[in-house]
Amino acid sequence: MIEMLQYDFMQRAFIAGLFIAILASISGTFIVLKRYSLMTETLAHSALVGVAVGLVAGYNPLWVAVIIAIGAAWLIEYLRSSFSIYSDAVLSIMLSGSLALAVIIVSLGGAFNNSLFSYLFGSILSVSNEDVYTIIGFGSIALFFLLIFSKELYFIAYDEEVAKTSGIKVKFLNFLLVTVVAIIIALSIRVVGSLLIGALMVIPTVAALQFRVGFLRTMLISLFFALFSVIFGMSLSYYFSLPSGATIVLSVIAIFILSLVTNKK
Amino acid sequence: MSFKLPIFDVKNLSFKIRDQIILENITFEIYEGEYIAIIGPNGGGKTTLIRLLLGLETPSSGEIKIFGQKLKNFKEWHKIGYVPQRATLVDENFPATVEDIVKMGRIAKRGLFAGASSEDRAKVHDAMVKMDILDLKNRMVGTLSGGQRQRVMIARALASSPKILILDEPNTGVDMLSQQRFYTLLAKLNKEENITILFITHDIGVIVDDIGRVFTINQKATICNDPKQILSCEEVSELYGINAHSLYNHKHEH
Repeated sequence: MIEMLQYDFMQRAFIAGLFIAILASISGTFIVLKRYSLMTETLAHSALVGVAVGLVAGYNPLWVAVIIAIGAAWLIEYLRSSFSIYSDAVLSIMLSGSLALAVIIVSLGGAFNNSLFSYLFGSILSVSNEDVYTIIGFGSIALFFLLIFSKELYFIAYDEEVAKTSGIKVKFLNFLLVTVVAIIIALSIRVVGSLLIGALMVIPTVAALQFRVGFLRTMLISLFFALFSVIFGMSLSYYFSLPSGATIVLSVIAIFILSLVTNKK
Repeated sequence: MSFKLPIFDVKNLSFKIRDQIILENITFEIYEGEYIAIIGPNGGGKTTLIRLLLGLETPSSGEIKIFGQKLKNFKEWHKIGYVPQRATLVDENFPATVEDIVKMGRIAKRGLFAGASSEDRAKVHDAMVKMDILDLKNRMVGTLSGGQRQRVMIARALASSPKILILDEPNTGVDMLSQQRFYTLLAKLNKEENITILFITHDIGVIVDDIGRVFTINQKATICNDPKQILSCEEVSELYGINAHSLYNHKHEH
């Protein structure tokens, strides 16, 4: 553990990874309770379009991914509130559409290479100083909004209509939540990868829910699980040269199974 | 007659979904301290009427004023406590203790960055005492009985110190004894705290002594000012036909 932290790249990966664990688990609590779990997958694929554009056009892929993911989140929220389309169908259409678009951009640009692979499954080797700054910068803003509105978001997740009739600005906060989630997902694809970030957002909360405790405790347990999975998963990635996203996700799934078994009714 | 501002002032309210008329030309006023029961057949528009009053649906025509203000300008939503029909059907996995839920009643009132004030804590405590759920404070809502959940939902609504409680028959899974206790609590809130109550119910016979007026909603509204005479309200008996008697006789079954 100490030994791997002697390397600069591991220090960067750990800073980025731990920050993302905090962001993913806290936002994940609201996402899971609102039944938006599938949205994380869709936004991750939209973020991939941003990565593709970034790689081909030579911009920082993380920045472009943040912008495109926010656009996609707003489009999803708009489509589901303004048209009579089933929301899971909207998510499914956007997911495949984004992936198709990303593949075409990457193919046309000739960027189908290792660096794309690292965006799909995460890589501890690839986190640059600039990435760490981007993650901390955007991530702090996202965390700030999540924390100041956490009570309102919890109320909305519990009952959107009752929240609305109590005077809570539901529409604004729903947009805010998907925006924050889009940012977090886009930031996470460096370490966890776009195909795997959904798991880090959703599974720690689902595992925490098995303990059947109140809101604050559920969120703290979820946070703890996410932090543990990231530390454990990144260590496995380092020692066995495996993609970090995959080792992190398998770690969190192991925790989920343990939570299920130990809390069986 | 002395001038008094109604809590709700509804004029010529109509609501259509595409071409289907759900509610037509409804006019009424609700004053502070009233206890009003809304009855009517299923699909008659009772829930829609309440959703319109709460701004959850937009009227096709007509006007709704709350505390003298147009609905879209109304900001003081904490004055209105709403308990929907599904209130007792809590998602069993939702991570909430009884206290978590009751605290929700204070959220909208609080400013950004503000933690719970001592007033917030006192109101939450009071609401739990009034609904007799203080001993359940740390229980998970999913583990409660229907009757207990019902009281938790009312406590949440009470925590914001509302002037009016609007209840859409939150009775699913509630046994008869708890239901009776619930009606007693509502009557007490109305009499002792002067909280106005607007209540969709099928059990009008049971609460007939508590209520002041009955609104019968079946696309149109019929307002009956003496609940005990509800059967002689012509439109009501027309509406329910023979069932109108069962509405009232219900009282003796309990």
